[in-house]
Amino acid sequence: MRAYKIIAVLLAGATLTSAPALGQQVGTATAVNPLSESTPPGAATAPLTVGARIIHKERIHTTPTGTVQLAFLDKSTLSIAPNTSIVIDEYVYDPNSGRGHMLTSLTQGALRFVGGSLSHEGEASFATPAAAIGIRGGTVTITFGPNGAEIIDHFGIVTIHNGAGTVTIYRPDFKVRVLNWTTLPGPIERVLSSDIEHLPRFTSLPGQNGGVSGLHSVSIAECGVFGTRSNNCPDTPWVPTDTGLNDANQIITQGTQQGTGTTAPHRHGS
Amino acid sequence: MQIEARRAFWRRIAGALAPIGLLVLSALSASAQSASDFAGNLSPLFQGILARPSDLNNTLQYAASASADDIESAIGTYEQLLFYNPTLSRVRFELGVLYYRLGSYEMARGYFQSALQMRDITPDLRERAEDLIEIIDKKLQVDQFTGYVQTGVAYQTNPGAGSGPQTVLAAGHTVNSNFAATPDWNWFGAFALNYVHDFENQNGDTFEASAVGYDAQEFRLHQFDIGLLELRAGPRFGIPTGNPNMSLSIKPYLVATGALLADAPYYGGLGGGLTLHTNVGNVALDPYAEIVQQSFRNSTFYPLASGLSGTLSTYGLQASGPVSSGLGWQSRLGYGHASDNYGPYSYDVYAADIWLPWNFSFPGDGRIWTLTPTAGVSRWLYSAPDPNINPTITPLTTEWRVGLGLDIPIWKHIVLGTLVQYRADQSNVAAFTMHDLLVSAGPTYKF
Repeated sequence: MRAYKIIAVLLAGATLTSAPALGQQVGTATAVNPLSESTPPGAATAPLTVGARIIHKERIHTTPTGTVQLAFLDKSTLSIAPNTSIVIDEYVYDPNSGRGHMLTSLTQGALRFVGGSLSHEGEASFATPAAAIGIRGGTVTITFGPNGAEIIDHFGIVTIHNGAGTVTIYRPDFKVRVLNWTTLPGPIERVLSSDIEHLPRFTSLPGQNGGVSGLHSVSIAECGVFGTRSNNCPDTPWVPTDTGLNDANQIITQGTQQGTGTTAPHRHGS
Repeated sequence: MQIEARRAFWRRIAGALAPIGLLVLSALSASAQSASDFAGNLSPLFQGILARPSDLNNTLQYAASASADDIESAIGTYEQLLFYNPTLSRVRFELGVLYYRLGSYEMARGYFQSALQMRDITPDLRERAEDLIEIIDKKLQVDQFTGYVQTGVAYQTNPGAGSGPQTVLAAGHTVNSNFAATPDWNWFGAFALNYVHDFENQNGDTFEASAVGYDAQEFRLHQFDIGLLELRAGPRFGIPTGNPNMSLSIKPYLVATGALLADAPYYGGLGGGLTLHTNVGNVALDPYAEIVQQSFRNSTFYPLASGLSGTLSTYGLQASGPVSSGLGWQSRLGYGHASDNYGPYSYDVYAADIWLPWNFSFPGDGRIWTLTPTAGVSRWLYSAPDPNINPTITPLTTEWRVGLGLDIPIWKHIVLGTLVQYRADQSNVAAFTMHDLLVSAGPTYKF
C-alpha cells in the first residue's frame, strides 16, 4: 500500500514539475525592462525576465516603466509598450513547413508587430475590443485605449474587421482608427510624422538595458553588412544623364545617313 | 513473510526510483521547451536568438545576415539591440534604412532623426542620415519633383556620325563633305524633370510627367547643332496583387517630341504608349509599347528629311535591380519598326543597353561617387537600298557603344558629371560605317 502512495507522490510531483510545459514554448522574451510581468496558464503572476520562455495562453503585462520584446519561432517579434496587457491566445507553428497561425489579444496599451513566416502566410491576427486585425506580410503598430484602436500599417496588407464592417490598408504609412466594435473602421488616412512622434515607447528608457548589459557600441558597416557598404543602402536614385544625348545621337546619325548622298549646301556664315 | 519481504523490496525500489523519476520527468519537461525543439528550418543564429538572447555577438551576426534578404527579421533584431542600448546612433540609423527599404518612410525618418540626436553619431553617418531624411521628405510629398540639370563641354571625334571623307558612293562621287567624319567641340546643356502626383489612395494611383531636354552647339560644325525636347505624361493605376512583396501598375501615356537640327525645325513627333510596372523579387520590370507619328521637315542641310516622316512603333522592356555592394544594373531591350514615307528609309531596329551604376564612398567621407559603365548594341535593318547611297545594297548596320560615366560629388546636390563614350557602326554600306569617341564633362545639379 505504501508503494502505491510513493508512486502517487512521484506522479504528482512529476505532473507539477511539468505543468508549465503543458503549453508549448512559442517564443522567448528577448528584452525585458522592469516591471513587466507574465502569467502562464495555471500559474501565478511573476516578473518577466530576459530569456524567459513564452508559452501560448500566456498573459503579459507591463507597468508604466516596463517594456518587453518577444521573439517567436516564425521570426516575428512583438514589442510591447508600457501599460500594456496582451495574451498570446494561440500560436501554432511548424518550422519545417512554415505553417501555423497566431492570435494575440490586446486589451490595453500598444504593441508593434514585425512579421515573420506566419504573417507572410496571412496567418497572424490580433484581437482588440474594437476590432480584429489580420496581417499579411506585415509590420504594424496597434494601440488600444479608451478612445478605441489605432492601427498603423508600416508594411504589408492589414485587414481591420469588426461588427460594422471591414477595411483593408494596402499601403505603408497609412493608418485607420476604430472607435468601438459597432463603429465602422476608418477612414484610412496617411500617417503623419506627428503620429510617429507621439507613438508610445517601444524600447528602453535612457538608463534601461532590456535586461542585457554590456552593449556599448556596435561595429557594423552601413546598411547591415560587415566591411563595406551594401546594396541594401537606399541611395539617391540614379538618373541616367545620357538620355537626351542618346536620342540626339540617333537623330543626327539618321540625318547624316540621309544627307550623305546629297550635294553640300553653303555653310552657315560662309 | 515472503509477501512482506516482497513489499519491502518494492518500497525500497520505489523509494530509490522516486527522485530519479522526478529528475527524468523534469528533464523531459525542460527538454520540451529547449531550443533544440526549434531546430526545424531555423538557422543556428536564430536558434541562438531564442535560446540565448543575451549573447550579443550572436545577435549582431544575425542582424547583419538577416539585413540582406529578410528585412523584417533584421528590424526585429535591431530593435532588440536598441532595447539593450537605446543610445546607439548606428542601430537607429540601420533601423531607418530597413524601414526605408520597406517603404515605411515615416518610421524611417523617425529613426534617422533620432540617430541625429545621439551623442555617438559620426560626421559621415550624420551626413548620410540628413541626405536620407531629405529624400524621404521628397517622397512623402503629394507633388514630387526630381531631375537634374547639367551643362558642360564635349569633344567628339565624329559628332555627325559620318563616314570617312574619301568614302565613295555607288554613283561614283564622294560623300557630302558636310557629313564626313570631322572632330569638333561643343557646348551642351541637358535637363530632366520628373513629376509625380500621388493621389494618396490605397491603390497607389499617381499622375506622372517628365520632360527631357538636350541642346548642343558645335564650335564649328553647326549642321550638327541640335536642340531636343521630349515630354511624356500619363496616369499610373496601381493594381492590388494581394502580395505585399509584389507591385503592379499600368500607365497609358502621351509622348510629344520636338527637335531643331542645324538651327532649323527638323523633327516633331506625337504619339502614345502603354507601360506596365512590376517586380520579381528585387528586380523591377517595365515592359512598354509605344507608337509615334513622326514628322520631319526638309531644311538647307537636310533636303531629304521629309522622307523619314512616318510611324515609329517600339516595344521593349526596361529592367533594373541590385547586384551587390552598392552595384546595381539597369537594362533596356527594344524592338522598333519605322514605316517611313520614303520606302528605303523604313527600317527595323533591335537594341539592347545595360548600365551598371556603382555607388561608393571613401572611408571617412559620406559623399557618394557613382561610376557607371555602359554598353549597348543596335542592329538596323533597312527595308530597301537607298538609290542615293547604294542602289544595290539594302543597308544592314550594327552599332556598338560602350561608355564610362563618373559622377564626382562636389557639394551637396552638385556633382561633376563626366562621360567617355565610344560608338562604332559597322555596315554593309560604306557610307554608314563610322566611329566616334566622345568625352564630356560638366557640373550637374541633381534634385
